[in-house]
Amino acid sequence: MKSNRLLYLLPLLTLAILAGFFGWSLVSGRDPASIGSALVGRPAPTLKAPALRPGEAALTDALLHSGKPVLVNFFASWCTPCLAEAPLLDRLAKKDGITIIGIAWKNKPEEARAWLERLGDPFAAVGYDLDGKMAVDWGLSGVPETFLIDAQGVVRLHFRAPILEKDVTDRILPLLKAGGS
Amino acid sequence: MLEFFLALLTAGTVGVLLIPLLRARLAATNRLDNDLAIYRDQLAEVERERAAGSLSEPDASAARTEIERRILTAAEKDQAPAPKPAAALHRFLPPVLCLLIPAFALGLYLQIGQPGVASAPFIPQPRPPAGVPKEQGPSLDQQIAAARERLKQAPDDPETLSVLGELLTQQADGVVPPAAVEAFERALKKQPGDARALFYLGLHESQAGESKAALTRWLDLEARSPEGAPWLPMLRAEIERVAKQAGIDPKSIRPDRKPPTAAPAPPPSSPMAGMPQPTEAERDAMAKMSPEQRQQAIRGMVDRLDEKMRASPDDRDGWLRLANARRVLGDPRKAAEAYARADALKPLEPQRLADWAEAEVRQIQPGAPPSPQAVSVLKRLEAADPDNALALFYLGATSFAQGDKPDAARRWKKLLAQLPPDAPIRAMLEEKIKQAE
Repeated sequence: MKSNRLLYLLPLLTLAILAGFFGWSLVSGRDPASIGSALVGRPAPTLKAPALRPGEAALTDALLHSGKPVLVNFFASWCTPCLAEAPLLDRLAKKDGITIIGIAWKNKPEEARAWLERLGDPFAAVGYDLDGKMAVDWGLSGVPETFLIDAQGVVRLHFRAPILEKDVTDRILPLLKAGGS
Repeated sequence: MLEFFLALLTAGTVGVLLIPLLRARLAATNRLDNDLAIYRDQLAEVERERAAGSLSEPDASAARTEIERRILTAAEKDQAPAPKPAAALHRFLPPVLCLLIPAFALGLYLQIGQPGVASAPFIPQPRPPAGVPKEQGPSLDQQIAAARERLKQAPDDPETLSVLGELLTQQADGVVPPAAVEAFERALKKQPGDARALFYLGLHESQAGESKAALTRWLDLEARSPEGAPWLPMLRAEIERVAKQAGIDPKSIRPDRKPPTAAPAPPPSSPMAGMPQPTEAERDAMAKMSPEQRQQAIRGMVDRLDEKMRASPDDRDGWLRLANARRVLGDPRKAAEAYARADALKPLEPQRLADWAEAEVRQIQPGAPPSPQAVSVLKRLEAADPDNALALFYLGATSFAQGDKPDAARRWKKLLAQLPPDAPIRAMLEEKIKQAE
């Protein structure tokens, strides 16, 4: 009889546990949308894509092992956050002299080309991944996503969101200044 | 209608909850009777089986004893003392809650509910009148091509460069693209301090993750802009936005920055332009007034400013504010007086002079020649702006009244030459010129 009564407390207990978890999620600053990245600290996946700009050589792994750190940016002309980060990439390429490799993801090449025409093209090399096959290896969940790959070809940072000013000043630039190793 | 259905639904739900609760109470009182009926059945069955021979005599008596014992227990239970207070609570709590919760909800709704407010999708949206084609004029691409064409002829025209930059930004959905940046930079070289180019270059910097550079540029522009410049409200809003986003206090860049006025200045046509702004409470109170009352309240505020000015008559800006308010409120006599007071402190600028002259001529009775005071203001206005229509028309009338017909005709002809071909006063003016010749 006694133990049966205690059973009635079970829903209440469940509720309390849930409430505690939600409360903690709210105050701890955990980002529930963040799914992390399995790639950070590992060698970059294969880069293999046809060139977006006509007449250029296709993109290969050699671009990731040039002895210099590079940014790999996945974008699409239909993606609004990509629009917002475009000026930032342009500045990183022109002012900070960073090599950026662009991949147009699930985007018709002519549309991606027109988009770059309008917004400016910050990419040292740019390819396209029309069916998103290559992006599977990169663990892409959408666009824009940006990877920082060091001189040894190891992924150091993975942004699953448009790059913001604080990402550039607090994470990308310090890492590159430290030698990108 | 929907509210009614919801209320009906609530009532139904409460009813469904209440009925079993109340019924359970009724059933409980009959429990002993039910039990006894069962036991009677069982006794009858034992008797039947004994008579049929399927149950032996000792077994039957044992079963009977057992059943009778149960009957006694049931009767004993029924003799239990009257319900304790806790039981009473249990009995009444569920139905009371059932009624109280909807009643509480209803009370809360009556307190804070706003049944009159339309749901967002049903709020009438301002719509362009039907029949007007949405796209008017050339497309964006055509405009850009046209601007580029113009630049071929005049490669460094700052105005065209800025227009091109703006169009390119529009084309890039609000992102200032490198081509636009280049155009603005060239425009700025030709015309240092160009507000539009500075604004867009700052916008580019803020988009490129250089918030500090953007804010520095914008705060400089803000400091150099005259009060009331048309771009100031937008510039200030952008400064606030970028400063907040980057977590930079504008004061850390420009410590001498004056805090921007909270509300953007109303357009100059409003009677409140340049007036001391009403407090929020006053504004709320005004929103509730009828138009006449509101007008009265505004006049009251202007009268208060008038009194203040008479106490400190050396405040030229104050007199100008008062004059402007009087003029917009349709009191040309008092407006002209305030302009004269400001003018006595320091001669008025041409734009103010035109307002003053307007206040003066508005006092002229139809058909009468302008007063000497009006003539002197009009003459000054004409000296500052020889093509001013107001001055030409009324000074012509003055000459005409004084018998100087050639002078009247000369002024009126000059005015006629500036008027657009469909100006309504053309016929009247031509008639007057005929009289003067």
